[in-house]
Amino acid sequence: MKSHIPQADPELDVLLEDGRVIPRVSEVVRARSLSRARATMAAMAVIPREPLSSVRRRSLTIALAASLAMGVGAAVATAALRGRVPSPSQPAPPAVLHTQRPMHTLDVPPSRPSIVPPPAVTARPQRWAHPATAQESYAAELDLLARAQVAYAAREFADVLARVAEHGRKFPNGRLAEEREALRVRALEGSGRTEEAHRAAATFADRFPRSIMLPRLSREPR
Amino acid sequence: MGYLRLAHSAPPAPTPESACLAAFEGEIDYLFTTLKRLGAAPHEIEDLAQEIFVVLYRQWRTLDTDRPIRPYLFGVAFRILYAHHRRRTREVLCADVDADDGALSPEGSLQSKQTVALLMAALQRLPVSRRAVVVMHDLDEVPITDIARSLAITRFGAYARLRKGRRELAAAVRRLSKGEARI
Repeated sequence: MKSHIPQADPELDVLLEDGRVIPRVSEVVRARSLSRARATMAAMAVIPREPLSSVRRRSLTIALAASLAMGVGAAVATAALRGRVPSPSQPAPPAVLHTQRPMHTLDVPPSRPSIVPPPAVTARPQRWAHPATAQESYAAELDLLARAQVAYAAREFADVLARVAEHGRKFPNGRLAEEREALRVRALEGSGRTEEAHRAAATFADRFPRSIMLPRLSREPR
Repeated sequence: MGYLRLAHSAPPAPTPESACLAAFEGEIDYLFTTLKRLGAAPHEIEDLAQEIFVVLYRQWRTLDTDRPIRPYLFGVAFRILYAHHRRRTREVLCADVDADDGALSPEGSLQSKQTVALLMAALQRLPVSRRAVVVMHDLDEVPITDIARSLAITRFGAYARLRKGRRELAAAVRRLSKGEARI
């Protein structure tokens, strides 16, 4: 093995001998480098989980937004053809809207009587629920928000806010919560409730600081 | 006295993070020297060392810490520096070499300093790929098989680079000694 390695020049050997010495880095540079390394480590300890979830969340959001837009587009086209959008069910009358503050996304029914519900009946879908239930709840979310979008396209902001409130009650942390809250801001702005729109936009920014809709929302209330 | 023994009997187990940081701290002199040998400009060395640390930290859990860490660090340093150089032009590299040649000034008092400066200046005349092999083999004294593994080349490729690199290094030293590059 050694025979493959050429003999070094004797003059070069002297230089290489001196060159093998590894000088010590100054204490200042050493301390600075270690401090930077610690900071890097601290930052990377936080980052690994976040980008994955944020990337997945963002891609999901984009996909949902796209599907929602397609659904709304189809509904608007249908409405344009028929002249008016039929609303088959109207569970929340507009009067309910005024009794509730618009930005209560986690609001629960105000006074629940002391009757303990039977354990077999769950009031709202849980995260660990059966997959089919999750799909159904998503379909219900999408349906509700699509109608709200149609109402928004028709500039019926009270109707929009009613549907948004209904969505907030049924799916406070649903998969389309971000879209719902964005729609709420736009509906408040459209209905001329500027102060509430500002507050809703601020709450939206707090809750969804990385939302792709945030730049547009922060511009709209102006 | 029993409580004293109790207090000293359970040293905290090092976490992977602290072990990685300790390894970096232990090899920081080597890293800075290696980066310099590979041709990094003095003002770039700290940043490049941080880049090496990021790689080290990311790979720490999968790293075989029973093996010597220097060849691994050298491989990382080489790749990072090579990528860094590719972002810059080759002409900038040569400009740095000329700037470093200032270390050969007559007022350099210690002869060893002069010889190291001469060696560093001569090394910069080598292409990065051959310089890496010469530095690893002749300065870090890493076996050729480990060099080949670290740089992801064949052993024969490593031998060839070493042979040619040494010839070029000797020629560069002769030229610099004669003062061809200076005065």
